[in-house]
Amino acid sequence: MAALTPYTYIQCPCSDSSTLGRSSGPNSPTGSEGDEDDRTFDPRAPRSNYSLYPLEYLLYCEDCHQIRCPRCVSEEIVTYYCPNCLFEVPSSTIKSEGNRCTRSCFQCPICIGPLAVTSVETKPDPGLLAATDNTAAPHSGPYALTCSYCNWSSTEVGIKFDKPNSIHAQLAKLRNGGTTRLTAKERKERRKDPSYRSQAAATTGSEGGAGPGKEEKLDLETQFANLKSFYQRQLADPNSADTGLASLSDLGFSSPTSLSRIMSIYTGGSLQDKKAKSRVGAMREALESDEGLQIADLDESAAIDKLQTDGHDGTASTAQLLDQIPNLGEAHLHGRSRFLSELRPIPYLLRAKRSKRCPVCRHIISKPEAKIQTTRFRIRLVAGSYIPSLAIRPLSLSSASSTSSSGASVPGALLEPLKPTHFLLTFRNPIFDTIKVTLGAPAKTPGRFPSKVTVLCPEFEIDANTDVWDEALKDSGERERERERERRARRGGFEESTTTSSSNNHNNNNNNNAQNQLEVGKIWERGRNWVSIVVEVVPPSLKLGDSTGDGGGVLREDEDVLEIPMFVRVEWESEGGGDEVAVAARDTSGGSKEAREKRELAYWCVLGLGRIRRS
Amino acid sequence: MSSKRHSILPPVSQSGPKPPVHFSSSITIADSALLIGTNLIVIHSESVIHPRAKLDSLAGRITVGRRCIVHERATLGAVGTSGKITEAAVTLGDYVTVEVGASIEAGETVIGEGTVVGVGARVGAGAVVGKHCTLTPHTEIAAGEVVPDFTVVYSNGMRRTDKRGVAELKNKGQARQIDVLRRMIPSNPAKFA
Ligand SMILES: [Zn+2]
Ligand SMILES: [Zn+2]
Ligand SMILES: [Zn+2]
Ligand SMILES: [Zn+2]
Repeated sequence: MAALTPYTYIQCPCSDSSTLGRSSGPNSPTGSEGDEDDRTFDPRAPRSNYSLYPLEYLLYCEDCHQIRCPRCVSEEIVTYYCPNCLFEVPSSTIKSEGNRCTRSCFQCPICIGPLAVTSVETKPDPGLLAATDNTAAPHSGPYALTCSYCNWSSTEVGIKFDKPNSIHAQLAKLRNGGTTRLTAKERKERRKDPSYRSQAAATTGSEGGAGPGKEEKLDLETQFANLKSFYQRQLADPNSADTGLASLSDLGFSSPTSLSRIMSIYTGGSLQDKKAKSRVGAMREALESDEGLQIADLDESAAIDKLQTDGHDGTASTAQLLDQIPNLGEAHLHGRSRFLSELRPIPYLLRAKRSKRCPVCRHIISKPEAKIQTTRFRIRLVAGSYIPSLAIRPLSLSSASSTSSSGASVPGALLEPLKPTHFLLTFRNPIFDTIKVTLGAPAKTPGRFPSKVTVLCPEFEIDANTDVWDEALKDSGERERERERERRARRGGFEESTTTSSSNNHNNNNNNNAQNQLEVGKIWERGRNWVSIVVEVVPPSLKLGDSTGDGGGVLREDEDVLEIPMFVRVEWESEGGGDEVAVAARDTSGGSKEAREKRELAYWCVLGLGRIRRS
Repeated sequence: MSSKRHSILPPVSQSGPKPPVHFSSSITIADSALLIGTNLIVIHSESVIHPRAKLDSLAGRITVGRRCIVHERATLGAVGTSGKITEAAVTLGDYVTVEVGASIEAGETVIGEGTVVGVGARVGAGAVVGKHCTLTPHTEIAAGEVVPDFTVVYSNGMRRTDKRGVAELKNKGQARQIDVLRRMIPSNPAKFA
């Protein structure tokens, strides 16, 4: 079983179902039950997967004083660029050329490694070189794309280039095997050429007489062009077959009106001619390849033969096929590449730099430098510099008599069932004001195997993140005495209220055992801008027999992970900003309208402590 | 090239017996290469043995072909799991490159001509790697496995055939690289004689 290092995930308040309107039923996956305020966040609920983030993933809006997660920011694209050549691509080019790099950046179709343009040197036979081309420079001649990792080369699919630059444009004109893709104009000219006609007839004749033998193999682009011109001719032709079913013509498939309507949708109204509207009648369909008819080639014996020789290893994987981009020079649907030997180089997909805005106040909370080469940000309000970070460490108590000393002192070790285990939570305050932290955790974690949880000190203050030197210059002795007084006072007050560390007999016994270390309401350790407190957990036994679980006798995935939902409320006073949230906070706290404003931030987080040993 | 790089690492401890060697006069072998074992170590003409490469003939004879490059911390003849002694522990063909940290186990292991054993790759005892193969970094070839000529082993054991047909070019490149290395690495074959 994989070891589990303790983790903290924070729930972005945007996913709070209470803000989503209607509250769901008691059996809903949100885990809401009864009063919304008393609801405990269940980290195992299916929805929780979508709202929990590590602190590093979160941003913070300074104006709304709220956490913002990747789900609740609105993004804007700053620039598009190619990750390979780092050239910026203007958005107008994206619209015309697509979202791939159109320079010479390609990925290997086999292993997705970057491809390099290398010259395919002819055989290093000096006699041959002199005979064919003696004016050639040392690095001339045809070029190929090669992968330096898996040694794939575009010559394997018969593709070579004349020039080492603008490979993208050259590749677009090349079919696998090196034959050039003709432009529409060239195709027309070729068709006029009588020598080509006879040649084409000969080749199709030799292939065998499946279907009408004179049919030419069309690639996607040619077929589309042929079909388009055919239908346009049909629309313009007043003598197209007239069936006389005038009443149905507007609805019929073959009616020119419906066709022209559809075509005008796609082509932007250029075909909307009045003539077509006035005319009724059906059109005939394409009958030959010049008109765009392509008869499906269902003869797959070649592919089957290839499969027999190459085996499964010769076929392209789904991922490899998905990486292939549509190639207009390709054969139609039947006979599409399925073998490794037919894969073409993949032009690099462009990437984008995005800026992020707060969805509420529209302020920018993250904005990267527009220049591609820099990885810096102009604005980046990360949550880590506004809300306290939380580190978890297993705590092993040194006293030998204590039953609470457990094996969890080694990070990642399994937690013993029914054995009290202690964890040290260290909160670190990133802001320049003293913050007051209040923690709330359910006494029993939700789920089929509830763990008993006791937060020994659920309320404490953390000093401001002041300059390190300020701290050093202060009279530390004075400060320490002050702290101690404060601590005692809080502890006294706390044992009466006992919100979370209540009604846990075991815990009390345990505290008696290890009296000098663990005291309810006492901070474990304190530093310049951090405070460590202790949480005690009693992991459950994962025996399935005595559980009254609903899911049967099988331990579900990760059900052995001990996760504690914890509600964190952070309060602090800061220089006034005068916005709504601050006003709201003031109102609730009694409305003292001073220059310093009370602020409050509250959120759920999940502490993943470790895996429980299966019994 | 008057400036010589000085290593900050402690000197290599020449422990164990000094093996009998048979060197061609044209080889380049660094002073800090590590040759140990009891059997013969043969290095053919123009091959380069980098500093801290380890040739261990304890489990049999080590043969390095012509114009081979054995990089730093590469190990030829590592005693594998079998531990048995054979006549020929490791045989490298001509133009073989054994990259940094790669390990070729002893036990009639053969690396064919022009093959590149990538960084950190491991070739098991008794494996026979064909000619002009490429073992990409951290590839593992199991003991006794036979890898056909022109095979590229990549991405955790995937295999394909190198169809570039650049074997000649690669050999020429290797010769050029050896020319450079010869000037960079001070050779001291006398130390091992
Ligand atoms: Zn905002
Ligand atoms: Zn959010
Ligand atoms: Zn590019
Ligand atoms: Zn590749």
